[in-house]
Amino acid sequence: MLVKCASMTNVATTLPGAPHSRPVSTGVSPAAGLVRRDDLMAALDRATLKKVTVVSAPPGSGKTSLLRAWSARASKDRRVAFVSVPRDQQDARQFWLAVLEAIRQTGAITDSGMRAAEPVFDGDTMFDTVVSELAKATGIVVLVIDDLHELSSAEALAQLDHLLGVLPKSAHLVLSSRRDPPIRLHHLRLADEVAELRAGDLRFTASETRELLSAAEISISDSGAAALYERTEGWAAGLRLAVISLRGHPEPDRFVDEFSGTDRAIGEYLMAEMLERQPIEVQSMLLRTSVADRLNGELADLLAGRPGCDQMLLALEDANAFVVSLDAQRVWFRYHQLLVDFLRLELRRTLAEEVPDLHRKAAAWLADHGDVVEATRQMLAAGDWPDAARLLADHLFSLTLDGQEGSIAALLRLFPAGASAEHPELALAHAATQLVQGRLEDASAQLAVAELHLGSAPPGRRRRLEIAHASMRLALARRSGHFAEVVEQVNLLGASTADGPSDLSGIDAELRTVALMNLGIVETWSGQFADGERHLTEGATLAQAIGRPYLEVACRAYQAFPSVSLATARERGLHALALAERYGFSDRPVVAPALGAVASIETWMGEFEAGERWLRRGWEVVQADIDPAAAVLLHLVTGMLHAGRREHHLAVEAFTAAVQAQSLLTGAHILGRVVAEWLAATQARLGLPDEARATLDAISSEHERIDAIDLGRAAISLAEGDPAAALAALGDVQDMMPPLGFPAYALVEAHVLAGLAYVAVGDQNAAAAAAEAALAAAEPDRLIFPFAMYNAGELLDLLPRHQTAHGALLADVVDLLRGAPVPRVDRERLQQLGELSRSELRVLRFLPTNLTRPEIARSIDVSVNTVNTHIRSIYSKLGVTDRSSAVRQARELRLLAIGRAPSSPK
Amino acid sequence: MDTTPSYQYTIRIRGRLGATALSAFPTMGSEVRGGETLLNGSLVDRSAVYGLLAQIEALGLEILELRQIGPSTGREP
Repeated sequence: MLVKCASMTNVATTLPGAPHSRPVSTGVSPAAGLVRRDDLMAALDRATLKKVTVVSAPPGSGKTSLLRAWSARASKDRRVAFVSVPRDQQDARQFWLAVLEAIRQTGAITDSGMRAAEPVFDGDTMFDTVVSELAKATGIVVLVIDDLHELSSAEALAQLDHLLGVLPKSAHLVLSSRRDPPIRLHHLRLADEVAELRAGDLRFTASETRELLSAAEISISDSGAAALYERTEGWAAGLRLAVISLRGHPEPDRFVDEFSGTDRAIGEYLMAEMLERQPIEVQSMLLRTSVADRLNGELADLLAGRPGCDQMLLALEDANAFVVSLDAQRVWFRYHQLLVDFLRLELRRTLAEEVPDLHRKAAAWLADHGDVVEATRQMLAAGDWPDAARLLADHLFSLTLDGQEGSIAALLRLFPAGASAEHPELALAHAATQLVQGRLEDASAQLAVAELHLGSAPPGRRRRLEIAHASMRLALARRSGHFAEVVEQVNLLGASTADGPSDLSGIDAELRTVALMNLGIVETWSGQFADGERHLTEGATLAQAIGRPYLEVACRAYQAFPSVSLATARERGLHALALAERYGFSDRPVVAPALGAVASIETWMGEFEAGERWLRRGWEVVQADIDPAAAVLLHLVTGMLHAGRREHHLAVEAFTAAVQAQSLLTGAHILGRVVAEWLAATQARLGLPDEARATLDAISSEHERIDAIDLGRAAISLAEGDPAAALAALGDVQDMMPPLGFPAYALVEAHVLAGLAYVAVGDQNAAAAAAEAALAAAEPDRLIFPFAMYNAGELLDLLPRHQTAHGALLADVVDLLRGAPVPRVDRERLQQLGELSRSELRVLRFLPTNLTRPEIARSIDVSVNTVNTHIRSIYSKLGVTDRSSAVRQARELRLLAIGRAPSSPK
Repeated sequence: MDTTPSYQYTIRIRGRLGATALSAFPTMGSEVRGGETLLNGSLVDRSAVYGLLAQIEALGLEILELRQIGPSTGREP
């Protein structure tokens, strides 16, 4: 079977593990008496050659039947992805998730790799994924969206509108709706890219009506058939209803006579007829089960109060009686919308006193089976506001982890006005929806209300409410940069975070992962790298164990901060990005910190082009207003790149933007000081010493000596032509130590600034010594950036090549400062040449120096013979015959640098 | 907030509605005229109008005319 019609009914309310988590129907149900409407199928074949097909007709016109039958004829050259919008779909994200799932089920995409089960991200990014998946598909893909009128998310409709503009050539869209969809089709119509099927096209013809009757083995006179056609006007639902009543009717012609003679509204008349002709137990079941949107045998038995309902449902579907199975196994069913609306009215009219209780039964069953959203809806229908409020509050944490904030908002609207005041538990639900909308102040107010109420919750439920409350406080605190409060909230959750991972189940494991992630992130941003590292690793491991890839990626994305070495940090960043790629998260805001970190590392190492490429991707994914902490990092790297290229005005702009982003945070950002220092240094370079001093004053502290301030002051004095003051500000340079877990950047900068000051006072020996010290400090992490930032070319020129132990690094820095084209890494040649061994690489790095072979041997503690062997092997692998061409070749291939060749985004 | 006063409406629907279909419109009076049903009543605002139309649509009924008669006599609170 090449095609599956995924009717993603009610995805919004589907929880993992529920038996209906993936409703799949294998095309049209094998119902008796359906005629093949070949003309209509051919019309649809033609229509779908256009970019968009609109099927717009009132209920009962046979839209779904037609589309399902047509979809079943798909082939590998024309795959069909079928999506049914569930009733009153409010979630853009859930909608696109269903679309994505349907596209993937067509099998048109072969390389989708591992996919996240329930990624937590918004509709916008989902939409982008849908577009890229469609573009990847092989052959023609027709995306059918049925029941589009049920989509009430303005966001999703706007995105659908946008989709038309960016639809790949091989993709076609079929939109089926009761009403003309609110999509702008004008331009496409002008370009003849729209086909339409309307009620008139869908109507049965007289001959189709006769075919339908004979297929259902109804013996009726020609005039009877004609009368039926005339009375129904070819309305599909009317004919189908009539056929059900006619089948087995003793006098079909009399039925048609009566029907034709009545002036009753035909839908109601035929539905009432159909219902009356069912056995009494079927009538009773249909009425009582109509309260549920979807049914299986068990739920139907419970509502109908009798066993064996599944057999009745199967028989009804086989009789084509407006009952549709939702899965290939025919376990889940739903009624046709026309029928269900009729049944519900009839139920209220005839069995009104039973209705609330039926809703209660359905709610209890659904809650037991994990369908919280639907269960809450049933409680609301029963008018049980307090129960509904309680159920919703109890499951809020899981619902937010599943990204169901849209459904939460929809449920909140079903409560009567003023319910929030009476049920303070709803405050948590309001807060959850406001948090995703970025309404932080409103969310904060709601959380305060919820907190007041926590104490009065019964002990059995208090824990769940506390968890939901604390997790939202955590999210709120992190978003607004209340770093201290994040730590406090995590400590409040102490009971769960202190448990060993072994005895964690369900909600506690999820909460613990979320807590570890938030904690690790704020520890990272506030510079507690060791703690952050530990918590993020723990969080990522746990996330992996409980199958929450999004949380795993989120934890890993913050591990690219240089706590060991730049090279290691870069490896980690690339690892996090590869992981994100594998799970399909690579364009999510969650990877912005990893992109920013890798960009900054490349920039530190003087690989400005690579840095710029990573940075560009970072800006593409970050949500700067929602995550200012990540924005600080990206602004900083932007400023670094400009400063490194001596574009001082642009650098000031970027550093200023970083300061502004930081001001949105309440806690101190670890990058705050370096941002201020570089902003001050750049301002001084532009001849703005007063502004520069003001920048530094803003981060000054009375109690603490801050390296960044000393460095900033030295830079200002240098720019003002007062090298003595610069040297005084630097003091004893050797004391300059970077914060633990940071590269030795402050030390490199201090030596560079001191060196430049010595140049200015004319002390060439001291300047050369400072230059050598700067290179020594820079070598382990390849910290080239400070030399570029302070334009240290003049200083490095004082250092003769033969006097440095860091010849390779010096050459790279000088190249960069001269703006020489950075040698491109010729990977092919590198592969042809064969890898140099570690010991060969170690020897290779001495070749640019003036050390002799015996001196090299002594430096690395091996015999001269060993050095000779290595050098012979190096020459042969590089295809050279002497030392100077070996050095040139090695530099071209970037073999001299300690960091490997620069990384690059795909 | 829609503060416009409620208006009287008449909706003309094709066919005679039975008790079940009429129960979908508990606030409206009904009257059969020929092969048509007239629903009469006051609707408090535009949402109520569209809600009523959606209900008519959902039941598969055919609407022939919708007419605003004038301000409601008994003003809804």
